[in-house]
Amino acid sequence: MKWYENTAGNGDIVLSTRIRLARNLKNYPFPARLSADEKEKVNAVVKDALLTEQNQAGFDYIKMEDLSSVEAVSLAEKHLISPEFASENAGRALILSKDEDVSIMLNEEDHVRIQVIYPGLALEEAYARALEFDTALEQKAAVAFDERLGYLTQCPTNLGTGLRASVMLHLPALSGSGAMRRLATTIAKLGLTIRGAYGEGSRPVGDIFQLSNQVTLGISEQAALQNLNAIALQVIAQEKNARAALLKDDTFIDRIWRAYGILKSAHMLSCSEFTDLASLVRLGAAEGVLDISLPTLNRLLVEMQPATINVAEGRRCTAAERDVIRAKAVKEALG
Amino acid sequence: MLCQNCQKNEATTHIKRVINGETTEKHLCQSCAKKLGYDYDGFFDDFSFSIPNIFSGFFSDAPRALAGLRADRCETCGSSFDDIIRTGMVGCADCYERFYDRLLPSIQRIHGRAKHAGRIPFTVTAETEAQPKAQEAVAEPTTEEKIRRLQADMQKAIDCQNFEQAAVLRDNIKALRGEN
Repeated sequence: MKWYENTAGNGDIVLSTRIRLARNLKNYPFPARLSADEKEKVNAVVKDALLTEQNQAGFDYIKMEDLSSVEAVSLAEKHLISPEFASENAGRALILSKDEDVSIMLNEEDHVRIQVIYPGLALEEAYARALEFDTALEQKAAVAFDERLGYLTQCPTNLGTGLRASVMLHLPALSGSGAMRRLATTIAKLGLTIRGAYGEGSRPVGDIFQLSNQVTLGISEQAALQNLNAIALQVIAQEKNARAALLKDDTFIDRIWRAYGILKSAHMLSCSEFTDLASLVRLGAAEGVLDISLPTLNRLLVEMQPATINVAEGRRCTAAERDVIRAKAVKEALG
Repeated sequence: MLCQNCQKNEATTHIKRVINGETTEKHLCQSCAKKLGYDYDGFFDDFSFSIPNIFSGFFSDAPRALAGLRADRCETCGSSFDDIIRTGMVGCADCYERFYDRLLPSIQRIHGRAKHAGRIPFTVTAETEAQPKAQEAVAEPTTEEKIRRLQADMQKAIDCQNFEQAAVLRDNIKALRGEN
């Protein structure tokens, strides 16, 4: 089952947890200094280390050159690869689990980027899964490591553990009350960062934020995960308080129902209109105002993105065509 | 005008962005514009931020002109320190050894600290055992220190229910204790 078809701990606020480990092979220069041929060699070493007879049935090995740009962008929309990885395909490959919880980018900024996405707040579990691949890699290949600097990465911002952990949070109440700027300042002081998961600006698309660790050197994996978990729980508690206050207001409940009404009846929905309304509806569903399952909404938030619609349709639709397709799919999903 | 990213090709793409009232302008060559994701129907406009550029920012006060004069390069990948400053990307694992002293101030500025405190690949601990003399020569961690780290790693492995790795670490600890 894919992460967005499921829900787990604190699923009313946490959409997903992501763990990313940056690793490099000791005996090859970092990707920016590699030719496409050398990248292929790196890919072969990593593929051999990570895909075994036992596990390979559960994974696809994808050469990025074999994907169309729309397919690549769709993978980025699902956060399975980075937008940068989608923008350039030479010598790059992806190891993707069938249920899309593990995606390993080869020759992105580093030789290996192990990524695990789990539903809900599940940092320890997702890290344990990523560690399985990390261990498998270092058993078969020499990994670039230094006693002082830890895992060596192409960009020094990832030195040390090479671990970037992030939690995707739906924060409509905090975002709507204008509390995010203050919260972001406090969080920055704690060595973490929070920013819009989709788009920049004061109010990100869909009120979805990504909370992640910044510092990777001089802190252990366990400490980094514990910090992030503790701060995530505090943000969740604040969002719950802010939601409780909003739900006492009939005009706010009216906004939720009106958003639901538009999603149920519109003939065309642009991506931004859909995500704005879906944010209100998701809040209503999480707080028991509306009887809609959260996985349904999580799935729509992922699948209604432009490139993902194009891939599902098997062609490059115009924006107007997509708006009609989106409105129809949303209507059907909301029953 | 040269491309502001690679400083090599003629800039052909002019990117002007206004974010929160603040205007930023960039002049890029075609290949950098593509690399940084400015060529796909605006999709990347919202997503992309370039880590290399951000990182080169950290290096901005490094003695760049001076570094350029020094012709020393990493023997493994051929990168000079100037290449690293300009691209914000380190060339290979050996560059960190080669330019350690010059990279250290920037690394400290990014992380606040410059001493790894996390997981150690257990193949590295196996290697250090295989070459104990080479390790002593550079005054690397004492056996006690190694045992302490291995124990910490073993505990982590147990916590993550990675018993296979825990068993390997336990054997390594035993072997180290045997040496004493």
